[in-house]
Amino acid sequence: MIDFFQMIVSGVAVGSSYALMGLGMVLIYKASEVPNFVQGEMALLPVFIAYMIIHSYGLPIYAAFFGALLFALILGCCLEFFVLRRAKEPNVLGLIIITIGLEMILLGLVSWKFGADQRTMPFPISSYASILIGEVYISLLDLLTLVVALVLMIALFVFFRFSKLGIAMKATQQNETAARLMGIRTNRVKMITWGISAMVGTVAGLLIAPTIMEPYMMWDPLLKGFAGAVVGGMTSLPGAVFGAYIVGIIEHLFGGYVSIEFKSVVAFVVIVLVLCIKPSGLFARHYVKKV
Amino acid sequence: MKQSIWIIFLVMTIVAAAAGTGVCEEGVTDTEIHIGQWGPQTGPAAPWGAVARGTDAYFKMINANGGIHGRKLVHHFFDDAYNPAKTKAGVKQLQEQTGMFAWVSGVGTAPGLAVKDYLMERKIPWIGPSTGSRHWVEPPQKYLFNVYPLYLGDAQVLTDYAVNELGKKKIAIVYQNDDYGKQGLEGARFELQKEEMELVEAVPVAVTDTDMKPHIMKLKKSDADAVLLFVTPGAVARLIGTGKAMQFNPQWLSTTTCGDFPLMMSITKGLYEGVISASFGMGAVKGHIGEVQGIMEPKLELMKKYKEEAYAKFAAEDERWGYTFCAGFGLAEPLVEALRRCGRDLTREKLIEELEGLKNFKGIMGNITYKPFDPEDPLCRLGQQEVYLQECMADGQSKILTDWRETEYIPKND
Repeated sequence: MIDFFQMIVSGVAVGSSYALMGLGMVLIYKASEVPNFVQGEMALLPVFIAYMIIHSYGLPIYAAFFGALLFALILGCCLEFFVLRRAKEPNVLGLIIITIGLEMILLGLVSWKFGADQRTMPFPISSYASILIGEVYISLLDLLTLVVALVLMIALFVFFRFSKLGIAMKATQQNETAARLMGIRTNRVKMITWGISAMVGTVAGLLIAPTIMEPYMMWDPLLKGFAGAVVGGMTSLPGAVFGAYIVGIIEHLFGGYVSIEFKSVVAFVVIVLVLCIKPSGLFARHYVKKV
Repeated sequence: MKQSIWIIFLVMTIVAAAAGTGVCEEGVTDTEIHIGQWGPQTGPAAPWGAVARGTDAYFKMINANGGIHGRKLVHHFFDDAYNPAKTKAGVKQLQEQTGMFAWVSGVGTAPGLAVKDYLMERKIPWIGPSTGSRHWVEPPQKYLFNVYPLYLGDAQVLTDYAVNELGKKKIAIVYQNDDYGKQGLEGARFELQKEEMELVEAVPVAVTDTDMKPHIMKLKKSDADAVLLFVTPGAVARLIGTGKAMQFNPQWLSTTTCGDFPLMMSITKGLYEGVISASFGMGAVKGHIGEVQGIMEPKLELMKKYKEEAYAKFAAEDERWGYTFCAGFGLAEPLVEALRRCGRDLTREKLIEELEGLKNFKGIMGNITYKPFDPEDPLCRLGQQEVYLQECMADGQSKILTDWRETEYIPKND
């Protein structure tokens, strides 16, 4: 029974970093209906910038993290402004391809500038310290990731529900033409969404980097975060978070009781099942556009 | 009359062409020897790309010292991103457009397998694949010379040390779910069988796995007191870190691929201290057991020379002097030695003959021995069969634990 609880706790812990990536994807999907495959690299580059700030300029960790978040905001806005917005007669498929292309460019840039050697990010909390609840272990870093994911989810939820900009983002996603007619500058709304999304991803990256930093480090969390977002519903912020937890828990239970060999592919089986049974996701309301 | 002139002209052309190929071997000119190599400079396996850069610096050092019998080594290396399709395309292009005399090293089992048949069918020598796979010697190939000691051997020596010298009773293994990891599993089982013991747990890891909690839970449940690690450096860091967080601290023992202690200490934030790893060279071993050595101040004379004459002069400014980079020297040494022994009259057949003549050749790696080609005997192309063990110290230096230990070749069991 302890094993079972340990698996649940570990599943939630690993699900938290997936959740942060999922949140970032959902944000952009809400604004522009594009599954954003450059999400991982929008986080990767700022994380490496933070590392550079610490090691090359000797600035304190918090200053570096702040710098990384600021850089992420600018990077996200720039990608939207200079690339996505320039797409002629954009359709979803074209935009997806653009995000994949950007992903490769940013990944190549990081590999070229920082090299392929693995490294670790200095962090205020030890990546290996843990606490014992009963007989169940949870590492402090995982606990922090869990708290950060939940706080960000609530903050974003409140932002979308109550702030003017949040409502403008929602309106843009539901009907861009109508939103524009109501005086919303939809292009600017989309640009800011990209910026915020990059920041959320960077938070995930900064929490992953203390364990191992390498150019490919965001790939697995991105795919699992995407899986979580699909499970929860691509338009629901709480859905993305709980979907990610579901993916994390299922992975751990599957690894513990069925086969550890196929643990990492089970997330994709879950995607297929959800898409077959409830394509809009478990938590999302499906908007039907009136024609 | 006109027709017979044409026939004479044609025959003369053919004779001239045939005579030409007889004199000059492909990839060899009066002043140059062209050697090819692939290695990932981008992609997930890019940290291993340092091997090719090591070989490049090594060849430049040789050229700076006058080359080999008046010929310079021209090194052609390309980035295959660890993608077998790219390896094959790159090898074919270099071979058919530029013409390589031989190929050296080449990172990765899958990329190597993609070009093995191509090179062997054309009788092009390939020396020192940068991976300890049994595919290179079973069945043995006349033109393929293995240098890297097989992972099967690492597992034997590590298991034997854990059981007989550390007195461990419960041995477990974490292995990458591919050729590399499975060889470790086989070697460990083989050694434990001799002791009438069994592995208490064998946990597979997928290359893409980043979350190691389920793996540690399984190991913890088995109550293992020594765990062999046959995974990548990143996975080792994650496993040991997760083990520490879940208060599971057995004796960790790793393969040669995780023997770069300064790197491992840095990516585990110091948790690698006390880990025992197999090593295929670069340390001064005989007569130095119990001694602490560091790669930054190498004890081996040849390593000192390479550091001063190859690394300091020809490596890129941000290149790290580490084990992977140095493996680029070690894996190419037998080829260079055989080229020297060939003399000025260089052909592929002569190179093979000289390689087969290497007996207990010693560079910066262990003893390397080949035998005349025997299609029934994998040992004729095995090269190095010995490794030694070292322990990681707090400052990333290595404590030499054992002398060179001979490993046993385990034939493939289909």
